[in-house]
Amino acid sequence: MRVSRLTLVVAFIVLLIYLTVPAQETVRTVRRAKPTTAPAMPTNVEPIDTAGLKDLISKPKDKPLLVNFWATYCDPCRDEFPDLVKVDSDFRPKSLDFVTVSLDDVTDIKTTVPKFLAQMKATMPAYLLNVTDPEPAINAVDPKWQGDLPATFLYNAKGEIVFKAFGRVNTAALREAIERLAKN
Amino acid sequence: MTKRTVSIVLAALFVITAAVIAGSGRSNEVPAPPAIGATVDEFTLPDVNGQEHTLKSLKGKNGTVLIFIAVQCPVSNAYNDRMEKLAEDYKDKGIAVIGINANSSEDAATVKAHAAEKHLTFTILKDAGNKVADKLGAARTPEAYFLDANNKLLYHGRIDNSQNPDAIESKDLRNALDSSLAGKPVEKPEAKAFGCSIKRA
Repeated sequence: MRVSRLTLVVAFIVLLIYLTVPAQETVRTVRRAKPTTAPAMPTNVEPIDTAGLKDLISKPKDKPLLVNFWATYCDPCRDEFPDLVKVDSDFRPKSLDFVTVSLDDVTDIKTTVPKFLAQMKATMPAYLLNVTDPEPAINAVDPKWQGDLPATFLYNAKGEIVFKAFGRVNTAALREAIERLAKN
Repeated sequence: MTKRTVSIVLAALFVITAAVIAGSGRSNEVPAPPAIGATVDEFTLPDVNGQEHTLKSLKGKNGTVLIFIAVQCPVSNAYNDRMEKLAEDYKDKGIAVIGINANSSEDAATVKAHAAEKHLTFTILKDAGNKVADKLGAARTPEAYFLDANNKLLYHGRIDNSQNPDAIESKDLRNALDSSLAGKPVEKPEAKAFGCSIKRA
């Protein structure tokens, strides 16, 4: 019987681990949630070229910068967007700057792209990369990046990449990286 | 209820804890692609009908183009006609074009139906476990690899610079094939473009 009780205790611990991990996430999200009283502004999407992009990521910063490369045609980009909007509302402007860079066609700059951003209630500055040859832009961001979307980069105030994700971002890991920078 | 039961439960606890920890810090990094000039190892993959093929059995006498493609990726789909034309144009020149679908979200039947609908007649292999995608460090669709007759990697990257056929300025993959056929070195052996990330298993 003693052994059986031990089994029960161990099973209970396993159950606790399962319950605690998502619970922590929920608590964290609830604690940071802000009242969403401000109406979602129609999002203006600015065109940006390779020089503009280089300038954006290398200019002197007073806080970390998060850059998300995405496209309306990219399923995992759309899937992760609500998580990124939450990250934006939790950290910007106090401890983070956040911009998105769309890789949609420039003909979508006043239609599909702002429409999606408005649906997402995304208010961070939005750009659309308008270039004929995408390679210099990809290499300017990260020579190891093959151009797969989505791609997310977090820069510290010195302009160094401290976190990156290709494909759908692990939001918990991203939040930890932002918090780590905020503490420094 | 023995000591063995306790051991099994403890082992299960360890495995579950490890899985939880691994899951929370999940990394989605793609293995690095082989260097230009490296020889790509022989591989075997099934086609969309389940028939197994080796690279050796499919390759052209003057080389092989492997292109990672997708069913649902609009970038990959923008290149359907260009990939089919590439296969047609280089068939007689001894270069084989082979498509590889490594998306875990797209099964062989889906890939087969899509190929029929889009009139893709070149061989398409299904890389269900990302075996070849990992070996080649393939990250996105479309992403091309050109191997010479000895499976030496001569070119890796995009098909050309633009999804929009009217804005093509640099036919990087065709340039690589033409250089190789002419016995010249490939001037630009790597070129990047945006694409959809491969959904790995």
